Amino acid sequence: MTKYVVRRLLGAVPLLIGIATIVFFAVNLAPGDPASYFMAPGMTQEVVEQMRTNFGLDDPVPVRYVKWLGSMLTGDFGFSFSHSRPVLDVLTTFLPNTLLLSACALSLAFLFGIFLGTLQAVRQHSAFDSATSVVLLFFYSMPSFWLALMLILTFSLFARNVWEWPVWFPASGMTPTDYDFLSFGEQVRARFMHLVLPTASLALVLTAGIARYMRTSMLEVIRQDFVRTARAKGLSERVVVFKHALRNALIPIVTLAGLYIPILFSGSVFIEYIFAWPGLGRTIVDAINTRDYPLVMGGSFFFATMVVVANLIADLLYAVVDPRIRYERT
Amino acid sequence: MAETHGRGDGEGLLKRSFFLAIGLVTAACGDGATVSDDPFCQAVLPRVAAFLEESRAANPTPDDPRYGGTVVVGNYGEISDGMNSAISSDYTSTQHQQFVNLMTLIRYDENVTPQPYLAESWEVAPDGRSITFRLRQDVYWHDGERTDAHDVAFTWDVVTDPLTAFPNAAFWNHYVKGPEGIEVIDDFTVRIHLEPHAEFLDAIRHVGILPEHLLGDVPHDRFREHPFGTQCPVGNGPFVFESHLPQQRWTFVANPVFPQALGGRPFVDRYVYRNIPEQTTLLTELLTGNVDIYIAPSPDHAEQILEDPNLELIAYTSRQYNMVIWNARRPQLADPRVRRALTLATNREQIVEAILQGYGVISHTGVPPFHWAYDPEGLPVLPYDPQAARALLDEAGWRDRDGDGVRESADGTRLEVTIKYNPNQLRQQTAEVMQSQLAEIGVAAQPQSVEYTTLVRQINDLVERDFDGVLLGWVTEFKVDDLDLFHSERIGQPYAWSGTRNAELDHLMEALNLTVDREAARPLWQQYQEALIAEQPYTYLYFPERLGGVNRRLRGVVMDARGDWVNIKDWYLDPASR
Repeated sequence: MTKYVVRRLLGAVPLLIGIATIVFFAVNLAPGDPASYFMAPGMTQEVVEQMRTNFGLDDPVPVRYVKWLGSMLTGDFGFSFSHSRPVLDVLTTFLPNTLLLSACALSLAFLFGIFLGTLQAVRQHSAFDSATSVVLLFFYSMPSFWLALMLILTFSLFARNVWEWPVWFPASGMTPTDYDFLSFGEQVRARFMHLVLPTASLALVLTAGIARYMRTSMLEVIRQDFVRTARAKGLSERVVVFKHALRNALIPIVTLAGLYIPILFSGSVFIEYIFAWPGLGRTIVDAINTRDYPLVMGGSFFFATMVVVANLIADLLYAVVDPRIRYERT
Repeated sequence: MAETHGRGDGEGLLKRSFFLAIGLVTAACGDGATVSDDPFCQAVLPRVAAFLEESRAANPTPDDPRYGGTVVVGNYGEISDGMNSAISSDYTSTQHQQFVNLMTLIRYDENVTPQPYLAESWEVAPDGRSITFRLRQDVYWHDGERTDAHDVAFTWDVVTDPLTAFPNAAFWNHYVKGPEGIEVIDDFTVRIHLEPHAEFLDAIRHVGILPEHLLGDVPHDRFREHPFGTQCPVGNGPFVFESHLPQQRWTFVANPVFPQALGGRPFVDRYVYRNIPEQTTLLTELLTGNVDIYIAPSPDHAEQILEDPNLELIAYTSRQYNMVIWNARRPQLADPRVRRALTLATNREQIVEAILQGYGVISHTGVPPFHWAYDPEGLPVLPYDPQAARALLDEAGWRDRDGDGVRESADGTRLEVTIKYNPNQLRQQTAEVMQSQLAEIGVAAQPQSVEYTTLVRQINDLVERDFDGVLLGWVTEFKVDDLDLFHSERIGQPYAWSGTRNAELDHLMEALNLTVDREAARPLWQQYQEALIAEQPYTYLYFPERLGGVNRRLRGVVMDARGDWVNIKDWYLDPASR
């Protein structure tokens, strides 16, 4: 197992350098440059040139590439023009916020998705099954940014101004403006309230997808011989389903999880925009718009690394859920 | 056995939710007032906090119900340059430098007349070649140091040094740059040297003075990177910086020692700026009372704001104007008669009514409504008149020779133009409306959306100039100066988009730039605008009205061409609402 992990990690090094190279040239050869973003009346050609020099953009592209790759290897991601801070600082500021949001959304989505999918499979063709399918398909086919706006409309605007519910949720931000003056308990509550709508908009769409996969997978497993054997042994239906069938039905879901894990890091740009969530996805998109080259390059490289790591984790998880998979001899 | 497993699963679930809760709690502790770990900030912020505490103790809040409370302003972006006035051109940033955290030597009143601010008086030498500013002696940096003439000289030195790359270099065209340009007469008197020119105080009004004792060592080409701007600004203005959570909010608190002669401390205790990029969310936050001001709502949000009895809508003509720039280097656009015809065929009233829902004023030149020389009544403006447009095109030799609805010249060149714009709903709609209006006079206009920085490169590149027409919004300073846009000698500079050459315009722009006396300048402005209308390098469309949604619990808000934050010091919260 260890040998396998080490080999996978070593194999990732050339892959990452390749990604870094592609990212560098894609960003630097794209039309436009940081100085043009600052275009203003009265900004002369000389100012533009000086700005480029101050940004370190006056060297030819290949020279910049070598310099950039060199400093990346020493862990220096460069300096973000738009945040006036080192790129690594910027990434580490926003990463925890994205992780918080997407971890909540993903765990809820998998929890509910697996649960609902299993129930549907067990009660195939029942009224519950059809009703759930309709609701899930409704959420599945809905773009998450639209769902987000509907949730804001319902649980923030109408809940407070029209229906005057006792509880309504803030539409934006991660903490209230008076956060520093709140007691500890109130701070936790405020955090929770701010998490609800963005988490729900991400999770509802994901749940729907996961439940569909889970239902199919469970339906296949539940018809197999060992399940019948388990029933024949006289085990209760609950144990048959949740103990024996579930573990086997989960294998394809792990593949799915591997595909979803990158979402943990990239977050959902739309959701972060709509809820003014200070996340990494939004930061990188802003950086693209302002041509903040070092931040775009650093951010993309960081995402790429995370995806490579996430895939490795997913592969390792197979071994946990599926005893037939062993990595020693491969 | 089976039962044990069942319970085990339940425990797993319990455990998982427990960890989720722990995660939430630790995250809750991790936030709050994040102090930057930069050594500069670590050194400076405790001094600011100590001075604030000391000055609060020495200056109790006056006994007046208007004092107190927190005002929250929501806007779509960051204060991107922060308080770093040396590298700033961004609107929101300069607003905060001028009115919130820093001070300028002078400021404008509502008639755009210079008034004392950090400078309590000034005197222009009889030959017009120097201005002597006498500074207030009761202004303190938020860390307790007094603001004096050395700070002003330092700031001058930084912003006029080409190494700094101060974005609006055109400000210093007629000033003596660098250390020679400014003399420290005594600790509270400075003299600035210049050539006499029109509206010479406008540049002075723009720049927030920076603290020499904190930034004196920073190399001028490294100013943009300095943490002073966005992590730990130390100003001398009415609000003291407290914290900045990137992408979330900035918090400022009232400065208790702001000079009494300038009105003393602000009414509100705290001012929070929130960054909310999505307008629908921002509208919701205004409607639910989570923000007190929604900066610059789009016209289609205006109605909802007007309908809510708790909200008030402010509308004012800002310093922006929108236009279509015609590339006169293109054969089909080289003739001024063609460009005049394009303007005559554009129904600007309809564009303002339909797309801006009436929140805009039609423009004929770049002289905006707040400018003292603004007088559209006296101008030979081009009205909406498609009949006249057709006649003009006939006269210029563009006729529909093959009957396909599009005019051609004698050599067969079709009268086709693409109109480029950066992706933005208002621009797109404007381009589409123009497309159909121009089709009526036999001009084939094709709207084309191009991402902003790419568009800037296409139109600014001296060789390519890859556009026929481009829809653009441009923000003027209070000093209207079109030299970069239209002067023949600057045709090799990026902003000579249109590329027209007109000796009369050249002469008038030069004269206007050097005429200090407004009464002498007035007839020149008239001639200049007449010549500009005849030349039509641009089809000027409109001056949009900038809107502001304000909760009525917040009183005394003034927004005008000077900006959205111009009188933030005088905003106060209805005591009953706090």
